[in-house]
Amino acid sequence: MSKRLHNLLGGATLVSMLVALYMVFVWVPTEADQGIVQRIFYFHVPCAWVAFASFGLVAIAGIFYLWLGGQIWDDLGCAAVEIGMLFCTLVLITGSLWAKPIWGTWWTWDSRLTTTFVLWLMYGGYLMLRAMADDTPQVAKFAAVVGIVAALDVPVVIVSVRLWRTIHPAVLVTRQGGHGLEDPRMVVTLLVSLAAFTLLFAWLLMLRFSELRMRARLGTVAREIALARFRAGAA
Amino acid sequence: MSGFAAVLRKDLMLEMRSGRSTMALVSLALLVLVVLVFAIDSSVARGPEAAAGALWIALVFAGMLGASRAVLAEMENGCLRGLLLCPIDRATLYAAKLAASFSFMIVALAAAVLFTVLFFNLEFSGALASLAPVLILGALGFSALATLLAAISARARGGELLLPLLIVPLFVPALIAGVRASTVVLSGAPFSAARGWIGILVAFDVLFVTAGYLLFEHVVGEE
Repeated sequence: MSKRLHNLLGGATLVSMLVALYMVFVWVPTEADQGIVQRIFYFHVPCAWVAFASFGLVAIAGIFYLWLGGQIWDDLGCAAVEIGMLFCTLVLITGSLWAKPIWGTWWTWDSRLTTTFVLWLMYGGYLMLRAMADDTPQVAKFAAVVGIVAALDVPVVIVSVRLWRTIHPAVLVTRQGGHGLEDPRMVVTLLVSLAAFTLLFAWLLMLRFSELRMRARLGTVAREIALARFRAGAA
Repeated sequence: MSGFAAVLRKDLMLEMRSGRSTMALVSLALLVLVVLVFAIDSSVARGPEAAAGALWIALVFAGMLGASRAVLAEMENGCLRGLLLCPIDRATLYAAKLAASFSFMIVALAAAVLFTVLFFNLEFSGALASLAPVLILGALGFSALATLLAAISARARGGELLLPLLIVPLFVPALIAGVRASTVVLSGAPFSAARGWIGILVAFDVLFVTAGYLLFEHVVGEE
């Protein structure tokens, strides 16, 4: 069953991604003010969506792990945070590439940029924790706690960064005012791209998650074999 | 509540007799300020804005050291196991540890304020009195986070490296609010001008003291 679902999801991702690519590069009209650069928007926004969804999933997995227990929830959190970090990095890179020609700078401490960057740092710390504590038996509990604490921090980060930026004089006027999605084709392209990235997210999550599940099963099997050998030797 | 008092009393008595943590924290705060004075040209960075920034850098560094000390000290000779065997629930233990590291941080911060006034040519005035609540809120939020996270990082390989990686990003909102509020207060504006920032600090403290209180039992305990 799982294998069929895998193939189905992988196939759907491939097809929708090809359709989205065609729409982004060929079908959708070029934006009047920004020109060709604006097309990166159709990748930037879905990446942000996937990153935030992943980080949300990390917190949910953490809550369920502490509540119900079970390696499953830890594996889910582990798979989600890796995907989230990948897409959060992509958001920052695609945003930077777009900002250079449009805002004239690679980076500015706008509230949205700052919030995304702080999230990136936070979940980078979470990944480091998983890497550095992976030989302690409580790593899953630690990760769950940090995942929950990070999610609690997100609203405070958003509020403080927004207040910080409105009081501080802005060197550049950086409001993303008017992406100018006047043409309905732009909206359709964005929606298709969002759908394609959501499928990609689900597929990646499933791949990584089932790999982690397999690893856990392998550990159990190895322990059983060792135990059987020990008993055979003792008899 | 007697369990809380007993653990706090133990930590404070230990500190009164050795003075190790507070001396280290005060020296560290002093050194951070000295580094800043040399690193940033005084003709560029002066006045309340630079002083507020310097003060909060000292708070973050001294806080990181203080929190890891408070927890690492329990790791030696299996002290933590002894503490966990006491008939105290884990949340109370968290509250006591938080109170201890918070009081060490306050001592270090008082010294840091004194050095900042001297190094950055500020006046000993009423502005310093209204700076106190800002720094107390900042220190409370920091020790709330740090006590929880130090219990985690103390178990990991290279934990002293892990602690800053976890704390600094999480502390960002309080850092922004604290620096802004300190700047407002130090530049002589009335306390009410910093109300928005103080609100963020209070929210941060409530959130993470509660989170630490509820989550601490999951990070200490049976190995």
